[in-house]
Amino acid sequence: MRLPLPSFVRTTTFRLAVVHAVTFLIFTFGLLIYLFYSTAGYMRSQSVKELDGEVQALAAAFNTGGMARLNQSVVERSSVPGPYFYVLQDADGQTISGDFPSIPDEVPDEESVETNFNYQTLNRNGEIEVRSANGIIIRLPNGAALMVAYDLGQRRQIVDRIIQTMWTALPIGLALSLIGGLIISRWAARRAEQLTRTTDGIISGDLSRRAPVIGSGDEFDRRSERLNAMLDKLEHLMMTTRHAGDAIAHDLRSPLTRLRNRLENDLRDGEKVDREESLERTIAEVDAVLATFNAILSLSRIQAGDAAKFKQVDISTLGEELAELYQPAAEDEGLSFDSEIEAGLTVDGDPSLLGQAMANLLDNAMKYTPKGGAMTLRVRTNSHDQAEISVTDTGPGIPEADRDRAVKRFVRLEASRTQPGNGLGLAMVDAIARLHHGKFELSDGPGEPPSIGLRAALLLPKAQE
Amino acid sequence: MNILAIEDDLEMASFVQRILSDEGHSVETVHDGESGLALARSKEFDLLIVDRMLPRKDGLELVREFRESGGNAPTLFLSALSDVDHRVEGLKAGGDDYLTKPFAPSELLARVDALGRRGGTEAPITILKVGDLEMNRLARTVKRGEESIDLQPREFRLLEFLMRNAGQVVTRTMLLEKVWDYHFDPQTNVIDVHISRLRGKIDKDFDRPLLHTVRGAGYRLQA
Repeated sequence: MRLPLPSFVRTTTFRLAVVHAVTFLIFTFGLLIYLFYSTAGYMRSQSVKELDGEVQALAAAFNTGGMARLNQSVVERSSVPGPYFYVLQDADGQTISGDFPSIPDEVPDEESVETNFNYQTLNRNGEIEVRSANGIIIRLPNGAALMVAYDLGQRRQIVDRIIQTMWTALPIGLALSLIGGLIISRWAARRAEQLTRTTDGIISGDLSRRAPVIGSGDEFDRRSERLNAMLDKLEHLMMTTRHAGDAIAHDLRSPLTRLRNRLENDLRDGEKVDREESLERTIAEVDAVLATFNAILSLSRIQAGDAAKFKQVDISTLGEELAELYQPAAEDEGLSFDSEIEAGLTVDGDPSLLGQAMANLLDNAMKYTPKGGAMTLRVRTNSHDQAEISVTDTGPGIPEADRDRAVKRFVRLEASRTQPGNGLGLAMVDAIARLHHGKFELSDGPGEPPSIGLRAALLLPKAQE
Repeated sequence: MNILAIEDDLEMASFVQRILSDEGHSVETVHDGESGLALARSKEFDLLIVDRMLPRKDGLELVREFRESGGNAPTLFLSALSDVDHRVEGLKAGGDDYLTKPFAPSELLARVDALGRRGGTEAPITILKVGDLEMNRLARTVKRGEESIDLQPREFRLLEFLMRNAGQVVTRTMLLEKVWDYHFDPQTNVIDVHISRLRGKIDKDFDRPLLHTVRGAGYRLQA
């Protein structure tokens, strides 16, 4: 039966931790093996060299003084305490001198042979200890045999220690790297889990959830920050959309309800109804609804628009034409209409949209300024060398606190609810300003309290010559 | 007029057909671009009404090919796309006018009438006459009967457009597009004021008014 794996085993972070631990172990193991071989090898070549030295010295003694001199050297060397052993035998196999009663290995018939053997000795505590030695056995030209050997104890001890250390270190390292891996994986998993919980919360509808930022500036923090920034933006968009949705519902519900009620009434009244008039009014109301939808569409298009199709627009001429278009209507409304237009001002833009923006501002001023008021269209270069298109009026104005809201989609301030309009006029002007890399701002108009009036200004970068 | 309407939306097609037939036009409808082009080439029509987006051949392509093969019937584009760029594209492809859906029947009729007339004589006329109203386009003078009327340049162009389309309804949108060259609708009725000023100059002191308001549609200059 397969046991189900704990869920953290399935996490990427855990797997990475395991991979990391294994890599770490392989690396450590490799390093130890390399260390072992290089140390042991060095020690081995070192003792071979020393052994060679001994053999050379004894050979020199034999060559200069024959067996007598050799024997003397062996006796002398045997008496010095150290890791070297010597045994000298005559041609009959009788031991002449040395550390052992006989050569502990077979003697070759000629030349020399390497030898490895164990021997017993008393250690410092008086116990018998088996030790190993490595050496060389030489058949001398006169038939005698000489062995020079080196006690491996020291070397073996070091090697044994290394091996022992390796075997001890391996499980400890394994345990440590696994524990470390687990801690890292648990930590990473917890951070990732926090992100998951945040997203889960958002999926279930709580848009106010935010990923925790602990201030370490690591990739989790950075990811959380990006995620949070994205959520802020999304929440803002959702709010806007939700608000727009509410506003659409609000603005369309009244005409649609009215429409429905009248149709219902007309249906009940039957013959008495002026059918034509009823239908005409119905069409007019449906047209108003359609106009609102069209405005929503063009606003979306402006907001998604690009500046690639811009051309030089003479806003002075545009301003003059619009002033000419609006002046009679404004005067009929009992307003005095002025225009102050600086000649020859151009911006890079879409002439139709700029015209639309100006028309919206003029429409608004005309709609909200009571009889006897004044409105002015200005096109000029302002003190920041921007092209400024402004419309001022002496109407009720917009309280400072409401100005930001006034340019949002579908926001119709309380004061304007009674006026016809779709609540998109200023939002459209704002969108057009942004599309032209400009700004749309509302400020106090030229009037006296209580009707201070409004100044609505479009600030645009001037065309590059 | 003999009119061919190429429109894939059946509801819209029958709406267009109904409006135009009621005014005495004879209308044929087809619902895709290829059969539309084939029919337009095989018969003489006084006017084509072409939807921008059609199955099997795009409206733009249709009109372009129609013009290339020598077809010269005036063409009115219908489209749900209201961008100025789309309008310009339509006119470049060989369309003569561009109407955005949804539209009022009166708007469609006014444009059809204007295009139908254009199909005839587009020769430069120096003197325009409607009843006893007379305009000299070269001298830029207007007089009614023996009385000379003083007009602002824009009023002159407005009257000129009305006189060219005398007897027919022109809508506010048409005036904005053709006289002011604006392709957006101001929310307030700025056009009405200009009309009423013009009316004040050409009709005020005369017994018979020439400039009539057509309820729910627009204006008509008629003797």
